[in-house]
Amino acid sequence: MPLKPGDRERCATGVEGLDTILYGGIPRTNTVLLTGSCGTGKTSLALEFLIHGAIRGENSLFISVTENSEKLLANIIPYRFFDRTLVRSGRLVFVDMPIMYERLGLTKPDLSMEEIDLLVSALASLAKELGSKRLVIDSITSVCYKLKTSEKIRDFILKLSKALSDLGCTSILVGEVPADSTSYSSFGVEEAIADGIVLMANMERRGDLLRTLQVIKMRGTMHSRAKYVLDLTPMGVLLVPLLKGGSTQ
Amino acid sequence: MSPELASAQQIADELLEMPEASAVSLQMSVDNYLDVIRGVVDLFANKKKMDTIYVTATISSEAIKRVLEALDIDSERVFFVDCISHIMMGASTAAQDEKTTLVESPTMLENLMLKVEYLIRRSQSEGKVVVIDSINSLAIHNNNWILSELLHILVSGLRSRDAYTVILTVEEHSTPDISNMVNLVCDHGIHAGKLREG
Ligand SMILES: Nc1ncnc2c1ncn2[C@@H]1O[C@H](COP(=O)(O)OP(=O)(O)OP(=O)(O)O)[C@@H](O)[C@H]1O
Ligand SMILES: [Mg+2]
Repeated sequence: MPLKPGDRERCATGVEGLDTILYGGIPRTNTVLLTGSCGTGKTSLALEFLIHGAIRGENSLFISVTENSEKLLANIIPYRFFDRTLVRSGRLVFVDMPIMYERLGLTKPDLSMEEIDLLVSALASLAKELGSKRLVIDSITSVCYKLKTSEKIRDFILKLSKALSDLGCTSILVGEVPADSTSYSSFGVEEAIADGIVLMANMERRGDLLRTLQVIKMRGTMHSRAKYVLDLTPMGVLLVPLLKGGSTQ
Repeated sequence: MSPELASAQQIADELLEMPEASAVSLQMSVDNYLDVIRGVVDLFANKKKMDTIYVTATISSEAIKRVLEALDIDSERVFFVDCISHIMMGASTAAQDEKTTLVESPTMLENLMLKVEYLIRRSQSEGKVVVIDSINSLAIHNNNWILSELLHILVSGLRSRDAYTVILTVEEHSTPDISNMVNLVCDHGIHAGKLREG
């Protein structure tokens, strides 16, 4: 179908329910903050986005900050559509951020403005070299801890998303927030800069605990703002609308 | 004098007449439960080589498996979404296997839909049948508003995936409200119970 004026090309996440919510997928080159409290399925969803990209022939890059990528691969849900040859062929690449820090000599707990520029350009050249069309940083919150001030965080995310967008890369930055947080990000600045926010959460209803997903914003497309309930399965993330009838929530 | 209950073959024949991916309200009596199971699962779904996704909120999947065995029905293509065993027996004793998925409680209707969706996607068979046993059991645990929302989402989702939906209503336990709710989402009705017309 030809794009209407103003209609941006989509990067289908491959998660059917999410693509429906987004009227086709994430607008290409957007930088999306995928945020939520611990254990809500952020890593699984972000990884699925990359796997589907790799299956479609788009080079995909996972930058692991918190977890060693070997361990991450050993722990992933046994997706029926995941094939290790995607990794062997280089379609899906895992890079550990601590190794990058070390190579760049960024071992201090606190980065200067110059060092931030160095990190951004290193990440961008990596994505360029690999021809990455999809990228995930899991988590951006851990990187932000090395930046300390909101000014530096803003600078870092702005420059990074600009660089990735220039490369035609669609990116997901995984954010971690406490379960009781009223903000979408730990430092409050990530959410304002990101082109999109997808919120994952746990919700209690009459004693039942549900995992939920909600698209809070997404520049460049219409989207549903409703809450969905999700399940992490070997067929991938499945979504259904949260039922409202008569509930008090 | 009550009319005769429909036989398993009559139930299956009516289903076989219906277009693909129909949503069917099957009104039954507690007295012809076994005929309903044989008619839907064996003489309809198995005959058409379709997978059956059997959602039970009435009796445990274990008990239904024993029924299938006793009736000598091949259960190779039958998969269960069991919404009752977990609250009756707890997670550790309730059996969960390749063929059986547990939903923690019949109030977790979203999870019920998610498990159905999972089994539909995993299924390799061309057609599929989803049986809801029964709307009355679900109504014990949920209000009519939320149930009717569930039926709308479930039925439209299944229709788009070319799956039949068969919603069982037990006439002895039903109310006009519940029947209306089911009739609203279904394209066809089968009266297999005592209140059968004609
Ligand atoms: N192999 C698996 N099979 C089924 N479910 C799994 C599997 N691995 C993880 N899960 C489920 O996924 C949940 C965690 O998912 P995931 O790691 O994607 O969440 P997260 O939001 O990234 O968590 P964290 O805050 O720890 O980074 C687990 O709590 C578990 O319920
Ligand atoms: Mg994680």
